[in-house]
Amino acid sequence: MSARTLLLIDDEPQVLRFLRSSLASTGYRLFEAATGQAGLAEAAARRPDIILLDLGLPDIDGIEVARRLREWTETPIIVLSARGQDQDKIAALDAGADDYLTKPFSLPELLARIRVAERHAEQLGDKKDAIFTLDDLRIDLASRVVTLGGDEVRLTPIEYKLLTTLARKAGHVLTYQQLLKDVWGPRYATQKQYLHVYMGHLRNKLERDPARPRFLVTESGVGYRLKVE
Amino acid sequence: MSRRPSSGLVARTTRFAGAGTVTPLLATAAAWLLFGRRQLADVVMIYLLGIIVVSLRFGYGPSILAAVLSVLLLDFFFVPPYLSFAVSDFQHVVMFGVMFVVAVVISHLTRRVRLQDEQAHRASSQMEAERLRNALLSSVSHDLRTPLSVITGAASALLRSAPPLDPAARSDLAETIHEEAQRLDRLVRNLLDMTRLASGAVHVAKEWQAIEGVVGAALGRLAEPLRGRSVEVRISPALPSVPIDDLLIEQALINLLENAAKYTPQGTPLELSADAADGTVVVALADRGPGIPGELMDRIFEKFYRLPREGAGGGGGLGLAICRGIVEAHGGRIWAENREGGGAVFRFALPLGGTPPELRPEEGP
Repeated sequence: MSARTLLLIDDEPQVLRFLRSSLASTGYRLFEAATGQAGLAEAAARRPDIILLDLGLPDIDGIEVARRLREWTETPIIVLSARGQDQDKIAALDAGADDYLTKPFSLPELLARIRVAERHAEQLGDKKDAIFTLDDLRIDLASRVVTLGGDEVRLTPIEYKLLTTLARKAGHVLTYQQLLKDVWGPRYATQKQYLHVYMGHLRNKLERDPARPRFLVTESGVGYRLKVE
Repeated sequence: MSRRPSSGLVARTTRFAGAGTVTPLLATAAAWLLFGRRQLADVVMIYLLGIIVVSLRFGYGPSILAAVLSVLLLDFFFVPPYLSFAVSDFQHVVMFGVMFVVAVVISHLTRRVRLQDEQAHRASSQMEAERLRNALLSSVSHDLRTPLSVITGAASALLRSAPPLDPAARSDLAETIHEEAQRLDRLVRNLLDMTRLASGAVHVAKEWQAIEGVVGAALGRLAEPLRGRSVEVRISPALPSVPIDDLLIEQALINLLENAAKYTPQGTPLELSADAADGTVVVALADRGPGIPGELMDRIFEKFYRLPREGAGGGGGLGLAICRGIVEAHGGRIWAENREGGGAVFRFALPLGGTPPELRPEEGP
């Protein structure tokens, strides 16, 4: 198997240097682009497995880069954002990016995100998988049965849809808007209170300690994530 | 909010005009009762007294209004021919003139006094701002320099050590660099948060939600610093939703938890609870640390304040000030108490202020 390839689109040479040296021993091959334009060209030429996209690029907006990439590729995009760029981060996720990391981040955090993105990319090729499992949580998508530790958990249709929407992108953050659109429909895209209430119901049914969720994690200000590791 | 100044202006104008009108009327009544029409000089004194009161309390415009009205009322009630604005004696015209001039002079003088007062006040608040800036500079430069010098030192040791360091020493140095870098990050984060809170640039996006989700997110983010401690979480299942900005309240909780992790002995337990009380939801974090000296109970929420034992290298003395800023931006309040049996408890109350919006019930089975 050939080495996994990463494309880093970031104009800060220090970040580049840090990633180049720390990824060297992990078996990833790193391609670099310092502008949005160069990034789009590199993505087309190199066909990387994962794209790391900084939001503060000198030429095009990172959100726009994510949108243009999504026009032709499903390659996982992980957004790198600085603090105070929350709105841009959410916009990039809504534009099709899969996940985000806030600078400064550590190498283990980055590698964990990359693993999630890779796992998901693999699953995309094999959509027939009708059973989702995570620890003692099991979702049978064919018979629509959810069990926890072998016991069936009774979910309302909306709770079930919310859970499966999160499970389909397990490990990734889903924004409030994405969840509302997918579960309730586009008319509800701004009705966050629905999401908060139903997430509470779901936690009460699936989490032993709802204040310390194992599965259903809040990403404050952004959305929710079904945690996989 | 934008309508407030104009309605305030209207209220102010009405109040000022009222004062300028009512005071001469009162003076008229008082003079009538005290002196009748016999002692004109004393009557004039009563009117002047009224004008002084108005100019001291309400300023230039109202006092001129009061002066004009006083002259008219004096003429009408006390100067023959009575109950008429006509004047029979030239001496009275001179008296009106003198009275008016005296009123204007008094108004000028009181206005000067007021302006000087305001200047003095501005100067003292400028001094206060200056003092804060200085505290900020010395706090920041100290807090930045400490981790920076440690990082520089440790990194240079890693780079050029001959003879080579053994692996344990190398990883020790790397760990130091990591810790100090995180401290720098925390400091910069706090400074940014505080600046944004203080300048009013923070937009509080409140949504009705369970506090539980925010508690979970904060605990998740602090898993590392809280390692080795038991954190007992007690949230009543019947607790109502609260209108909060989850990102900000999470930050407040993180600051409280970081504070507890830093200033209470390793391994001591923490208790985090949320309860409903008097139209608020009260979140409390209790520790078994050394507690807070009584006289410092309020000061710890001030910007750049540190407990005497605290020393260098925290969050720049800003963590609790940020908590207070966030809680107050929600219309709530934050306070600390000592616990029976040792330790401190930090509480903040967030007002419910209404009921959550109705949700359309789910259709189907």
